[in-house]
Amino acid sequence: MLEAFAAETLKFRRHRATWFLVWIYPIGFLLLSVLLICVGLIQARPETAAPAASKWIESTAAIWYVPPHMFGRYLIAAFAAFVFAGEYGWNTWKLVVPHRSRSALIAAKFAMTFLFLYGAFLLTGLLTLLMGWIGDVVLGSPIPEGITAAALAKAQYLGAVAALAPVLVTIAYTSLAAVLTRSTIAALVIGLVAVTAEQAFLGLAPILSIYAPRLVWGLYQLLPGYHFDNLSSWLGQGSASQTRLPELEPIAWSWPASLALVGAWVVGVAGLTFVSFKRQDIN
Amino acid sequence: MTLPVLELVDLGKVYRGRKGGVQAVKDVSISVGAGEVYGFLGPNGAGKSTTIRMLLGLISPSAGEIHLFGEPLRNNPAVLRRVGSLVDGGAFYPFLSGRKNLEVLARTHGAGADRIDALLEQVGLSDSAKRRVKGYSTGMRQRLGVAAALLGDPDLVILDEPVNGLDAAGIQEMRLLIRSLAADHGKTVFLSSHLLHEVQQVCDRIAIISRGEVIREATIRDLLAADEGLRLQAAPLELARSVIEERWAVEPDGDTILVRATQDEAPEVVRRLVGAGIDIFGLTPERRNLEEVFLSITQEEAADA
Ligand SMILES: Nc1ncnc2c1ncn2[C@@H]1O[C@H](COP(=O)(O)OP(=O)(O)OP(=O)(O)O)[C@@H](O)[C@H]1O
Ligand SMILES: [Mg+2]
Repeated sequence: MLEAFAAETLKFRRHRATWFLVWIYPIGFLLLSVLLICVGLIQARPETAAPAASKWIESTAAIWYVPPHMFGRYLIAAFAAFVFAGEYGWNTWKLVVPHRSRSALIAAKFAMTFLFLYGAFLLTGLLTLLMGWIGDVVLGSPIPEGITAAALAKAQYLGAVAALAPVLVTIAYTSLAAVLTRSTIAALVIGLVAVTAEQAFLGLAPILSIYAPRLVWGLYQLLPGYHFDNLSSWLGQGSASQTRLPELEPIAWSWPASLALVGAWVVGVAGLTFVSFKRQDIN
Repeated sequence: MTLPVLELVDLGKVYRGRKGGVQAVKDVSISVGAGEVYGFLGPNGAGKSTTIRMLLGLISPSAGEIHLFGEPLRNNPAVLRRVGSLVDGGAFYPFLSGRKNLEVLARTHGAGADRIDALLEQVGLSDSAKRRVKGYSTGMRQRLGVAAALLGDPDLVILDEPVNGLDAAGIQEMRLLIRSLAADHGKTVFLSSHLLHEVQQVCDRIAIISRGEVIREATIRDLLAADEGLRLQAAPLELARSVIEERWAVEPDGDTILVRATQDEAPEVVRRLVGAGIDIFGLTPERRNLEEVFLSITQEEAADA
């Protein structure tokens, strides 16, 4: 398993898809923040008071808004499509399959996809902190009092945990599509459609529930979308995310129940990926 | 005989499609001993690649058993770690260099990283090792495929059409390499081909497969000996034929006849003909090469169908 992971890392660390879909976060952020600092230096600025420490800390974890967002999930789906379907296009499964168990090969792909993405987000988080501090120093803006290492770490931690569920579910959807369709493009399209449908359903549920109230109410709780919001609400505010569909009892799950449901989605869909790949003929 | 390295028992494969199934391989039973170079010969679409894919665990058999090193592959896919393979002329990650491709493979395999340089040297790719495989020629890919097959220092090397796309020099090199794998390194080699005259020179034993079934299995020697004959030019031809037929099988062929006799029997043939007052203009031993044997066998098959 570790060997398969090492091989996967070697394959993808400098692949074009990885540059454009994963390494882009830290690199893009770095370039952007340097640009903003330069602009700040040129423009005259009014004197401002230091922002609240909590605001300053929160801004260092801004990258974690990306992965749960629909657009962020598109990029994750695209990367997963390359990772899981690439071998079909390059015809390379036959090169590696005889040497490792199929489960280990797929597990290595899951691990690599997840760790590359989380590594990139975490690095971007650290860069946000560093560039925020450098920016304030260079531009002479005051840095608020009361920023502690523990508070900074907690902000990253909360962001990282809240992003877990949508990232894992997105990777799982796309991995299954990749193995079943054996095509990067098809996996990408199915991944995007699944993410879009899931998120659009959340927004449209109040309208749709006019036509089929019970069905929509049930789906709303069965699909993972609500539970992403609920889990991040529990993490952030310490309370459930409340949803009311017209004329139906309000939806508000406890966090362990939501966690179990999202876990079931990830394990179920990823499990199907493993089973399908194990039984697949490779031509 | 020692325990066979590779044994196929009634192996079969049906590809299921929308319009019913295709029986690509049927009741294939062969066994390959240690240190042997075994050829799997057949025309296009005979089922060679299908058989090899089953051996490598890429596709699952519809029927039958595969034993590698005495272990059933079904229960023990890890035996494949002792097998090296080259299929489809070497498919590689196009965006990685030849060397990086071997590194990926060595990591996957968990062995062989220390052999990469020596293997690249051995297959003559040292100078292009840092170039992306995308820009490799067919021959270069095939060589890289050989290096990949040997990376894990396998006991059994399986090669699907190893000389496909190689030029004359490449074919000669490949032939030497295959022989040396068996002779100098004690490896067992199982290879497929439809280029028979090439295989004739490297294999100890062959199976001829046609439309999914093994129709003949023999050592090269036996296969050729069985088809020896003497070509006779004589007059009157009809009389010669009836004289010969008393003892040997004959095949009339234009204004000559082919006598199914060995070269040792030539004096006896001559004595009989001379005794019957027949003029002999020529009697030449004829040894058909494997290609002809193969063609006649597969054509018989086709004619029977
Ligand atoms: N994936 C597949 N689905 C359906 N039929 C297939 C598949 N692969 C091969 N076949 C069929 O199985 C038969 C055997 O094909 P196979 O590729 O094993 O032949 P081969 O001996 O390797 O031929 P070649 O010399 O052309 O490589 C052919 O009739 C082929 O059309
Ligand atoms: Mg073939």
